[in-house]
Amino acid sequence: MSNTIEHIVVVGGGSAGWLAAAVIAAEHPHLRVTLVESPGVPPIGVGEGTWPSMRDTLHRIGVSESDFFRECDAAFKQGSRFDGWVDGSPGDYYFHPFVLPQGYGDANLAAAWQRHHRHVPFADLASFQPHLCVQGRAPKQARTPEFAAVANYGYHLDAGKFGVFLRKHCVGKLGVRHVLDHVEAVVPHENGDIAALRLRETGLLAGDLFVDCTGMQSLLLGGHYGVPLLHQRHVLFNDRALAVQVPYATPDAPIASQTTSTAQTSGWIWDIGLPSRRGIGHVYSSAHGSDEDAERVLRAYVTASGGPADITPRQLAFEPGYRERFWQRNCVAIGLSAGFIEPLEASALALVEMSAAWLADDMPATRDQLDTVAARFNEAFTYRWERVIEFLKLHYVLSRRSDSPYWHEHRQAETIPARLQALLALWRTRPPSRRDFPRIEEVFPSASYQYILYGMQFAFEGAPRASDLPGEADRHFREAARLTAQMLPALPSNRALLEHIRLHGLPRI
Amino acid sequence: MPNHAILNNVDHKHLRVITARGAAYGDAVMSALTFPAEFRELQASYPIVFAKNADGTAFDALALFGFQNGENLYLEERDGAVRWDAPAIPLSHERLPFMIGRGGDELSIHVDLDHPRVATGDHVLESEALFLTYGGSSEYLERIASVLRTLHDGLEAARGFSAALLELELLESFVIDIELDDGSQNRLAGFYTINEERLLALSGERLERLNRAGYLQAIYMAVASLSQFRGLIDRKNRSMSGNR
Repeated sequence: MSNTIEHIVVVGGGSAGWLAAAVIAAEHPHLRVTLVESPGVPPIGVGEGTWPSMRDTLHRIGVSESDFFRECDAAFKQGSRFDGWVDGSPGDYYFHPFVLPQGYGDANLAAAWQRHHRHVPFADLASFQPHLCVQGRAPKQARTPEFAAVANYGYHLDAGKFGVFLRKHCVGKLGVRHVLDHVEAVVPHENGDIAALRLRETGLLAGDLFVDCTGMQSLLLGGHYGVPLLHQRHVLFNDRALAVQVPYATPDAPIASQTTSTAQTSGWIWDIGLPSRRGIGHVYSSAHGSDEDAERVLRAYVTASGGPADITPRQLAFEPGYRERFWQRNCVAIGLSAGFIEPLEASALALVEMSAAWLADDMPATRDQLDTVAARFNEAFTYRWERVIEFLKLHYVLSRRSDSPYWHEHRQAETIPARLQALLALWRTRPPSRRDFPRIEEVFPSASYQYILYGMQFAFEGAPRASDLPGEADRHFREAARLTAQMLPALPSNRALLEHIRLHGLPRI
Repeated sequence: MPNHAILNNVDHKHLRVITARGAAYGDAVMSALTFPAEFRELQASYPIVFAKNADGTAFDALALFGFQNGENLYLEERDGAVRWDAPAIPLSHERLPFMIGRGGDELSIHVDLDHPRVATGDHVLESEALFLTYGGSSEYLERIASVLRTLHDGLEAARGFSAALLELELLESFVIDIELDDGSQNRLAGFYTINEERLLALSGERLERLNRAGYLQAIYMAVASLSQFRGLIDRKNRSMSGNR
């Protein structure tokens, strides 16, 4: 091991491992990047959602978006729709779209909505995007170039295929060395760093920096270094998921371009539309309901939404939480090895992207720099994990559902993080603002908090301020309506555009 | 609905086509489709740019006549007569009101009977008959047939040309901000042109391939045509001062 960082070893070949390898290799052509993964570990293939940040990530690593759509069974995602979260009554829904409210920051949209437009859902008033989702429109046209958008979008994709797609690009285009072998032991350096990995077939694999992407087993960070998991079950109770793949009722059935999350008695059900099938899963709390109940609830949802009755869901168990540190000595964990929390706002891949980008941007050139970079990585990602957990918790604390102890307990003060309690106290008299989220790179912008708060019908009482500009707010609401009317006829249906991409691709320019 | 018919010397015996220029005859258009074989001739008069087709799968070459829909700055009215102030008109426009139709493998001449150039009776000034007294084709119609053939072949060849430009990533979008003499700011956007930096960086082997396919000269003609933007802006300024 030299003082210079020359060789990065990524351990684990899931989408986190390949994404990290791709981002590092694309940014640092002079570094050697090796990815080692155990042979014969089949990709899980869960349908997953991404944030719009994935467009930048894919562009950054130099893949074609058309290839990505075709090879990863990918579709557009324009945000999330939450069904049954407010009080569980029929027709209880709201959107958290990816597009910011029209004119956000120019006027107090929340105040104008609350005073004069409470009969309209906040997002439907402030943004054109929920209407595109409801009408099954794609977020762009066939002639819009790759990675460009008419309406901001991320993706729904098959995570297993995504890993394979990234591997091909990493090995074929980015010069990443791929080693298929079992890691049998970690060989420590006398200073406490990891010197090498002992592989079963190929012997020692030395490296300067090790990226632990080994999933929940957290082989290096958790296993070798024993960095503990900070459990979050007391805040977010869900620790089980039952996942199933469901065909469309007909070949031309509309493909939803939002993730639909439907609240249940002891959890919620995700519904993700890929071009070839839907991915549906029930996330629930094992402390609040049995696996049998959860499966019954999932079955009822699937059949009610036009799916088959004979499903055999696969169960996943997870321990909600994140590591006390993510980077120790010359080992940094990215992906499930760093932590996992229920997929309510699809933060898993987003955190992988953020971690990989941070690592690539702040890549230490020498061992001497490593501890400095590690310290601020740990500080930044601890903050980000806390913010993710608070934001997810926000979805539960505002609910008026009373159909089970699960929902009651979610609203009990001792389950709510202190900072979130403090913010909720502020938001009783004013909307979330950038003062509440002061970092340059916040995980969720204040607009996302507004979408959830006002989607959940949260009321605030504040005296009018000069900066409220109710006339301006109304002008922005009218502009959102005008854009809706303009976009609906100009955008193809989500399915039609995905089919066009499969046949012809999107233009590069 | 367009009123298209296959041209024949029975139904269309007395049909005449107006050859005068003017907005009344469908000449007030901003651009016309073109193809590599006529770039050399057109670049002396018009900027040649590229535009994405409707479904984004290919790019078409266009000769530009103006900066907004319906604006043809080459149409000039003097003493009551309108002329097209350029030595050559793109064949895709010149052909009007005719088009090529396909019946099986056969290509035939179709005519748009609702086009403003279509007239009946011979009292019409500046018009041409299509057929001679006993049914033979007029010289004018012979010329149209040849125009349509050239256009058909040219547009076929243009597809390979635009595919080659895309493959070598030679197209880039561009925006022109124009300040006119009256101080108004105008923007032309949505078109593409040759990225000269990438063109200059092409390997010898790739340049040779372009040259053998007959594309290299067309590429440089398109690059050269951009100097016609100056003339187009001058025309715009003249047309505005004329309106005041």
